[in-house]
Amino acid sequence: MSTNKASRIGEEIWKTRVDKVNAELVTLTYGTIVAQLCQDYNSDYQEVNKQLDKMGYNIGMRLIEDFLAKSGVGRCANFRETADMIAKVGFKIFLNVAPTVTNWTSDNNQFSLIFDDNPLADFVELPDDGRAQDELWFSNILCGVLRGSLEMVQVQIEAHFVSDVLRGDDTTEMRVSLVRYIEDEMPPEEE
Amino acid sequence: MSYYFTILSPTDTPIFNIAFGTSKGGGDGIARFRFPDTAQYMNQFIIHSSLDIVEEAQWTNGGMYLKHVDTYPPAAAYISAFLTPSGARFLLLHQPPQLPNSNTGSLGSSSLLGPGGSTTRASSSSIAANPTSPQTEEAVRQFMNEIYESFVKTAMSPFYKQGMEIRSPVFRTKVTAAGKKWL
Amino acid sequence: MSILNLPLEFTGAPHNCGRHSPQNTFSSSHAQLSIMTVFSLIIINKAGGLIYQREFQPGLRKLSTNDYLVLAGTFHGVHAITRTITPRLPLQNTASPVVASPGTNAPTTSGYSYPNPGVPASGLEYLETEKFRLTCFQTLTGTKFLLFTDPMTGSVETVMNKIYELYADYVMKNPFYQLEMPVRCEAFDRHLAAWLRGRT
Repeated sequence: MSTNKASRIGEEIWKTRVDKVNAELVTLTYGTIVAQLCQDYNSDYQEVNKQLDKMGYNIGMRLIEDFLAKSGVGRCANFRETADMIAKVGFKIFLNVAPTVTNWTSDNNQFSLIFDDNPLADFVELPDDGRAQDELWFSNILCGVLRGSLEMVQVQIEAHFVSDVLRGDDTTEMRVSLVRYIEDEMPPEEE
Repeated sequence: MSYYFTILSPTDTPIFNIAFGTSKGGGDGIARFRFPDTAQYMNQFIIHSSLDIVEEAQWTNGGMYLKHVDTYPPAAAYISAFLTPSGARFLLLHQPPQLPNSNTGSLGSSSLLGPGGSTTRASSSSIAANPTSPQTEEAVRQFMNEIYESFVKTAMSPFYKQGMEIRSPVFRTKVTAAGKKWL
Repeated sequence: MSILNLPLEFTGAPHNCGRHSPQNTFSSSHAQLSIMTVFSLIIINKAGGLIYQREFQPGLRKLSTNDYLVLAGTFHGVHAITRTITPRLPLQNTASPVVASPGTNAPTTSGYSYPNPGVPASGLEYLETEKFRLTCFQTLTGTKFLLFTDPMTGSVETVMNKIYELYADYVMKNPFYQLEMPVRCEAFDRHLAAWLRGRT
């Protein structure tokens, strides 16, 4: 499936099938969660990143069903298609953004998502304790969501942010790498 | 004209301070107060001393912008105030430039006591130099509104806690830009 | 059963009496045979465990809870076997047209090479008897929905898609639902019953 077709599907679902909610409610809710985590873990940002990823993972495992039920899309033929599906359909229907898919490695197993717009990070300014800028990945929950949802459809990936405008970088970029396709487990043989 | 802008939390804690000069009429945007550098705290004194008047004035009308509320003649300092519904106060102290022919040569504490002539002279000149003219009131209103918008956004950052000092460099840049644009 | 009675109050179904009498209910459901009769729904998790079983209209003989568990486990096994015997074609035409046509199930057992290593072919999809038809829909995540309907009914797909959506909404999005565990979501029951009632 082409990128354009994915974009069309995403657009269509976004327009007709998705309940909308005030963006600031989402932004403030998510921001509060992250701030609370930072407080709970005494600004151990590595730990906060980990927790966000874990939360995302749990969300992803559930959200994937909603994605499949709403979009009705089938299995992707290859990882490139998966990338388009994530960027143009997944992000579109859940966050109304469509990050750019780019920086493919030659073996088609790694790509980057560039976010021009990140609704989770509106208004956010990282704490100026001199460490958050280097350690906290504010939107790390997204990595977990991808990991969780793809794992449910037998695709094991690894995802992490490599830059974030909140840190003063020029772009917000997430790197996604295919680890493996999880072989379909057979039911225990009863013979 | 030189400006000193401060934001006070509802509990009277200063959470943001900035000093800048006019950029209108060839101004270079650098504050030149009549106090020596060692007496910068004078601005804070003057601004804080206007709080009583602000508190009275805030009930006089429903507006958030209270215009020019207080004057401190010894320093030729004018104070404009803006209230947010949450109780934060934006206070702007403006001080017209000291005209060369009034009280010449005294940039020290002496000007603090009696630059009387300078105010009358200043009021007759350009907008930037006249703190009470309608044009100035309007410019300050625009300035305050713009700051208010940035302030709300800053306060919405999940890492900002109410009543905490605003250390955001983004906010500071925005205030500077607003100052450049309107004052 | 108490939940089943609820939607009657506000959907204005044509047969608003006799829900409690088996005789009456049976005849009224007979009248709707031509439209769509959904007898019951079973959901099997990806490990083959029964996580949901519910009857919407009488018509099928009831099984004991244990038998339902056995049914789920057996079907799961048979499904897996039917999938493994799917013929594979040589890996040439990798660009498969079956991918992502909205609304369809996973590609049927007609031969085509797997586009990806590890992509399973679909297993058993229909099982039909004189009196009922069992339709199986397996989601890409491995959950199976088994729908028992009247064999005459046409598009089970719409019903299946709607059930999947309701499942995504009221089961998966319920933060207190533990994945892979039996579904005890009252909202799911309610919406499912209401929707099925509304369209029959």
